[in-house]
Amino acid sequence: MSTFIQVILRSLETGSIYALAALSIIIIFRTSNIVNFSQGAVGMFNTFVVTYLFNTMGINIWLAALGGIVSSILLGIVIDLVIIRHTKKVHPEAKQIITLGMMMIVLGIAPILFGVDPLRLPKMIETGNLSVLGADISYNGLFNIFFGLLVMGGLFFILQKTKIGLAVRSTASNEYTAKLMGVPTKTVTMGAWAVAGALGVISGIMTAPMTSVTLHILDDVQLNALIAVVLGGFQTFYGPVVGAYIIGVGRNLLLFYGSSVWGGQILYILILLFLVFRPHGLFGKKIVKKV
Amino acid sequence: MKKLIKNPHLHFIFLGLLLMIVPKLAEMGLFKVSYVTTLGGTFILAIAALGLNILLGFSGLVSLGTAGFMGLAAYLSAYFTVDLGLSFELSLILAVVIPTIVGILVGLVSLKIEGIYLAIATLAVSEILRKTFEEFDFFTGGFSGKTASYPTLLGTYELDRAGMYYFVVAVLIIVMLITYNMMNGRLGRALNAMRGSEAASQAMGVNLLNHRLIAFALATMYASIAGVLYVHFIKYSYPSIWTLKLSLDFLAMIVIGGLRSIYGTLLGAFIVFAVPDLFLKQIPFFSEMSYVLNGVLIILVIIFYPNGLINMFADIKRLFNKLSKGEGK
Repeated sequence: MSTFIQVILRSLETGSIYALAALSIIIIFRTSNIVNFSQGAVGMFNTFVVTYLFNTMGINIWLAALGGIVSSILLGIVIDLVIIRHTKKVHPEAKQIITLGMMMIVLGIAPILFGVDPLRLPKMIETGNLSVLGADISYNGLFNIFFGLLVMGGLFFILQKTKIGLAVRSTASNEYTAKLMGVPTKTVTMGAWAVAGALGVISGIMTAPMTSVTLHILDDVQLNALIAVVLGGFQTFYGPVVGAYIIGVGRNLLLFYGSSVWGGQILYILILLFLVFRPHGLFGKKIVKKV
Repeated sequence: MKKLIKNPHLHFIFLGLLLMIVPKLAEMGLFKVSYVTTLGGTFILAIAALGLNILLGFSGLVSLGTAGFMGLAAYLSAYFTVDLGLSFELSLILAVVIPTIVGILVGLVSLKIEGIYLAIATLAVSEILRKTFEEFDFFTGGFSGKTASYPTLLGTYELDRAGMYYFVVAVLIIVMLITYNMMNGRLGRALNAMRGSEAASQAMGVNLLNHRLIAFALATMYASIAGVLYVHFIKYSYPSIWTLKLSLDFLAMIVIGGLRSIYGTLLGAFIVFAVPDLFLKQIPFFSEMSYVLNGVLIILVIIFYPNGLINMFADIKRLFNKLSKGEGK
């Protein structure tokens, strides 16, 4: 029993990392109609910024994380201003490929700025364990779970209950009409890229202590987040988050009780099979096209 | 005679003959012998990119699994020829058929769904394949990789590097010819109609799922052919080759070169793969930046030159004509 709880707690921690990344992907998809393949790479870049601030400049880890969030917001705004804003007339498929191009640029620049050696980033809360029904979880793990939930809760509150959220939702449902109604859609899109960047670096900071900070630190997270978005469906903001937690829990359970080598791969196959029966994901609806 | 010059099929054959001169020039010492390997590699990647171009350019579907399928074919061919001792021809057929069947199965699952789903489904499949390459030691050699040798054609003609280069060029030209014919035939028209309007093409009697499946199967088949050629030309295969980065490189090639253009694919492969190797490495700063430059090039081409760089020649020609006409007046 205690191992089971241990596995579940671990899964919630990875689940919240995936959920933050998935939320970052869906926010951009809903506002800009782009599946952002560069999400992981940009998050990786900003995680390197945090690591640089902490290791080389010797700044406190919390302040370094804050610095990373600021840099991610700035980078998100720059991406929107320099690239995304000029792609209004570009074919939707070509837009995804633009994000692939952005990914290449970031992957090319990062080693020049930060070197190729793997770096270490410590936990936000260095020590301390909490025992829950015989299962151990570090304070840092708990912090990750609750901070993830807090960030997501805050975002959903803003989306559903405030005027800003209304602007975002109306942009998401029909950009042209929203513009006619006086919604500043350009600002909304820019804000979405900034928020998505911040979510990306938070997931990066949470992932970093588990491995080392390299160019490919967020590849796995991004892959799982993309699959979570597909699993949850592209039509809602909460679907991908639910999908991410399902993947987090399912993956760890399969790794622990199924096969320690093939667990993740089995999960992907199960999800692909699930999509045969529900092609639009858990919460997705079929979009009826008018001719 | 004029008809002969205008015949598009002959253009491909002329191009092939032109490319076949390269090893001779290398022998004469006009440039380094290693360039033969680079150019051969470029043509191999161009074959896989051509398949992806059918999929993306004609049917508007994105696949991120090209590298996975290419790797599968490479490992299969190496396993068949080295471990099982099968002849090159038989292993070529098997190593192309097996990944294509896998591709069709994946397509059946993911092509019912629209748009970006296929990209993510193929990404998942490609991850599963890469994991397989790392874990199935007896078949792939794990992380240390697998080696293969230059093939012997029909049991008698042993190929060396130059011979294999000729073989690659020949396959490339054949693939280009077949693609040209298919895309100007019924299949190409159906795919074009689908891209224009799915509802209208359905009304004209085009079966969407069938045609998407054919396009995807073709892309997988071309990738498999490229994989087999790769493992026998470069002679080794590691799991770290067949990653998402390679799949992205293929996308870069066709977007930079030109969607729906056969020559554009070749030009794109040359820009993405050969230019960094042949030219940029000579200049110290640019050798580090080749990945960045490719990224910048993709974005610039999509925003400002959405039809691809291959149209540059036609545009320059038009501009030139305009200028010379202007002077004539």
